[in-house]
Amino acid sequence: MNAYIEQMGLIAPELVLTALSLFVLTWDLLKKGRNSDHIGYATLVGLAVTGWLLLQQWGMLGDKGTQTAFGMVTIDRFGTFFKLFTVGSMAVVTLFVMLDKNERKHGIGEYYFLLIGASIGAFFMVSTNNLLLLMLGLELLSLASYSLAGFHKGSKRSAEAALKYIVFGGLSAGVMLYGISLLYGLTGTLDLGLMGHAPEGSGAVSLATQFDASPIPVAIAVVLVLAGFAYKVSVVPFHFWTPDVYEGAPTPVTTFLAVGSKAAGFAALLRFVGALFLTDGVDASIVAYGDRIGFLLAILAAITMTLGNLSALRQGSLKRMLAYSSIAHAGYVLMGAASMTSEGFAAAMFYLAAYYCMNLGAFGFLIYFEGVTGKDDIDSLKGMGWRHPVVAWSMVVFLVALTGLPPTVGFYGKLILFYAAIDAGLAWLVIIAAINSVISLFYYFRVAKSMFLTEPVPQVPMRQHGLAGILCVLAVVTVLAGLGAFKDPLRGWADEGPASLEIYATDAGSR
Amino acid sequence: MSMLVWITFLPLLGAIGIAFLPATNTRLLRQAALGVTSLVAVLGLFLWSSFDGSIAEPQHGFVRDWFTVALGAGDVPIRFALGVDGISILLVVLTTILMPIVVLSSHGHIEHRVKEFFVWLLVMQAGMLGVFLSLDLVLFYFFWEVSLVPLYFIVGIWGGERRLYATIKFFLYTVAGSLVMLVGMIALIYGLQSSDLMDLIGRTGELPVATQTWIFFSFALAFAIKVPVLPFHTWLADAHTEAPTSGSVLLAGVLLKMGTYGLLRFGIQLFPGMAVSYSSVFLVLGALGIVYGAFLAMAQTDLKRLVACSSVSHLGFVVLGLFALTEPGIRGAVLQMVNHGLSTGLLFLLVGMLYERTHTRMLDRFGGIATVMPLYAIFFVFTVLSSAGLPGLNGFVGEYMILAGTFEASPLWAAVGVTGVIFGAVYLLMATRRVLFGALVHDANKKLADINAREIGIMLPLCVLCIWIGVQPNTFLDKTAGSLDALAKRVEQERIDQERGQAIGRIEFDAPSATTEGEESR
Repeated sequence: MNAYIEQMGLIAPELVLTALSLFVLTWDLLKKGRNSDHIGYATLVGLAVTGWLLLQQWGMLGDKGTQTAFGMVTIDRFGTFFKLFTVGSMAVVTLFVMLDKNERKHGIGEYYFLLIGASIGAFFMVSTNNLLLLMLGLELLSLASYSLAGFHKGSKRSAEAALKYIVFGGLSAGVMLYGISLLYGLTGTLDLGLMGHAPEGSGAVSLATQFDASPIPVAIAVVLVLAGFAYKVSVVPFHFWTPDVYEGAPTPVTTFLAVGSKAAGFAALLRFVGALFLTDGVDASIVAYGDRIGFLLAILAAITMTLGNLSALRQGSLKRMLAYSSIAHAGYVLMGAASMTSEGFAAAMFYLAAYYCMNLGAFGFLIYFEGVTGKDDIDSLKGMGWRHPVVAWSMVVFLVALTGLPPTVGFYGKLILFYAAIDAGLAWLVIIAAINSVISLFYYFRVAKSMFLTEPVPQVPMRQHGLAGILCVLAVVTVLAGLGAFKDPLRGWADEGPASLEIYATDAGSR
Repeated sequence: MSMLVWITFLPLLGAIGIAFLPATNTRLLRQAALGVTSLVAVLGLFLWSSFDGSIAEPQHGFVRDWFTVALGAGDVPIRFALGVDGISILLVVLTTILMPIVVLSSHGHIEHRVKEFFVWLLVMQAGMLGVFLSLDLVLFYFFWEVSLVPLYFIVGIWGGERRLYATIKFFLYTVAGSLVMLVGMIALIYGLQSSDLMDLIGRTGELPVATQTWIFFSFALAFAIKVPVLPFHTWLADAHTEAPTSGSVLLAGVLLKMGTYGLLRFGIQLFPGMAVSYSSVFLVLGALGIVYGAFLAMAQTDLKRLVACSSVSHLGFVVLGLFALTEPGIRGAVLQMVNHGLSTGLLFLLVGMLYERTHTRMLDRFGGIATVMPLYAIFFVFTVLSSAGLPGLNGFVGEYMILAGTFEASPLWAAVGVTGVIFGAVYLLMATRRVLFGALVHDANKKLADINAREIGIMLPLCVLCIWIGVQPNTFLDKTAGSLDALAKRVEQERIDQERGQAIGRIEFDAPSATTEGEESR
């Protein structure tokens, strides 16, 4: 009984979120859809509690190391990093929902419920070594996301987005499940740790053993599972849903998909790749195969960033442009995974944290500006810079960060990604990424150009102080983090991730 | 704290302060900007007087740990390291004293969004000073990019009619170059496990030659775009022409020098071996730039564009002098960087003054201006002569030293360079004739007011410097002597080593030990 309570304690953040989701749902029913802002506040409080619990857990993990609850949930710093990330992005998204001028103020309790549901899915997805639970978490996240994408029931675009999302999502989930079932068939276990390294008497066969016997089924299984993750983080060629869904979904939902959901996808991908190929004790043969997987990821990264950036060039809608830009950024993060080193993984995690600041900011700007003009095309931004200076200058900071120029955290993130990739012998990929940054500059600065360099069109001045405040804070954080204010803790946290996955630290000479 | 920290960050503090001033009170804004830049200029003069030109090593050093990156075998510390030596001192001081003039010159044409203008101007100054003062590769890159974004807005908001095209073009060209440099920089830091410039100088020979070559060219590309060296010059004509007068002065005076400074610091000083091996490439590009830029300038009908094209020609001289790799060549090139900043800065100021009065820059809209604006004519002729290299003025000293230095290295390209001096006189004097002399045919030009006291006040300090350099160049050359002599000696040693290495290679082709010995002696 004691052990049971202890294990419940380990998943306390998840429990709080589950209770919160139920509370939100019932409260909305009891209130019969009157002012939904209260529910928003309740969500924020619940998220704050979850965040606090996660910070406690982070500290506890430092003392005790990785813990396992109920044999399935793995509590490690890697997972907690991404949980904190999810809670952080959820909090900002909740604020966005509450401040979105285009959203109704009443009867949207289930909006918050679905968002919390998605977060619970993300929580389980990032903190398990068990492929079954991982799949469940992923499906919970996906199902909530499908409904969220179609939340504006009356809108054709929203409905289209939901349908497209569910069709693509269903297909890729099927592909991934097939891959998982193959892995299960090959190794006799669903546990990633055992797949990577099966000790005597565990009843499982490690993937390396199977790889030596028959490499092709192993290769197929791994690639199929990776395809499922690639879909979640919208890596080419599994990106086709992204622009349409991002465009059709309500903008706060798009924000969550682009930031929270994508980070969870990357967490699962990093954990999967790390556990199978990089942890201590895996055989040399599979490590060699892991290098080939790394090369595959590097090629995907190159294609993804190039295609994302080139497509973004031609977009007239800011929302669609940000969708393609998020595809391009998936390519940058994938560089870290492709490095197949603990430094590369840490760089990918750090870049995601940077991406958090700058992309939340960019989407917040989009929500602000949709509230002012009701449109999302870049041309209607004309002269915004002079009418809404605080928001517009914040956006310039985000654009500079997204391009990867100093003095922002985006530059710093890209710098360590480039370091990691060069360290892993992927200089060609770094050159492609550098060229891509130049391409991205062109479309990011089209926004700045529209805001500042063209004469304003007459508009009804409208201010949204709440949103402007959030954007301002995010912009300041983006710059300060870039100047190095939080870099030591952030770098430290990002470095803890791969360490807790027990990925051995590599130096370039040994591999 | 070191004086250099103040010089770098005072403009930034000023920018933050100005951002909080009321936007409507333009008088206050101008005064604040002038105050900050003057204070920095005073600091610059202090730096000048306390700088000892006979020392080769950086002075006034300031070093703090910034962050570390795990790379290869161990952690590489990235440091916040500032310092000034003979290579950078002239440019640093030029930047500090040019800035109050830029602020004052903005009076006529920056009338809207004054606050934003000064904020960007000061951010840019911080970036440029940081570029010249950084002694760490990553810090250098940091400032390099920081100086970039402000110009995007300065040209884009306050520029001429085709400003949007010009800004995007300028921005894409420079960022493309600098990202390639970033890749090379990371490879260099990775290869040598250090990002400390003073440590890396002298150690680059440890890298394999192929790696050295591509890193050298990744740096050279970024700087060649910034200078701009011949095939990359097209952004300059557009950016210069469309920038507001004060932006043009800054571009010509300081920003382009970031390119030539980079070529000297990260091309020649960091990779002396590569500079010796590939000097002919740059000699050809420099000489062609001189001639081609002059021809471009001759063909222009727009006065400002003419001055912009003359920059291409003048900076060709600087590149020629640098890659002659002889002592007079390098010293002349460093002096010529300053000369170009003064002369071309003055020319842009003069073009701007004329534009404010006539609202045109077309050469055929002028003629006979000297009769209505005699004082203006005096300054114009003075500047043209300084730019054309009249003995007794600054341009002559620089060009003479460069050509003398180039002749030592390669008489052919010195000869080509000399033709540039002639062509320079041709287009500058042609422009003078078409603007100042001849009949006053356009009625609108008959009532032009002559330049006022403020405008004279802006130009006088620059004119004084022009004469000073022309008459007593040693004041300035002495400050650079220590560092540049050491650099020239090192390059000379490298050349001798390479020639000997080749000779040994020819004689004992089968003995690899001989070549390693040659490499060790570097």
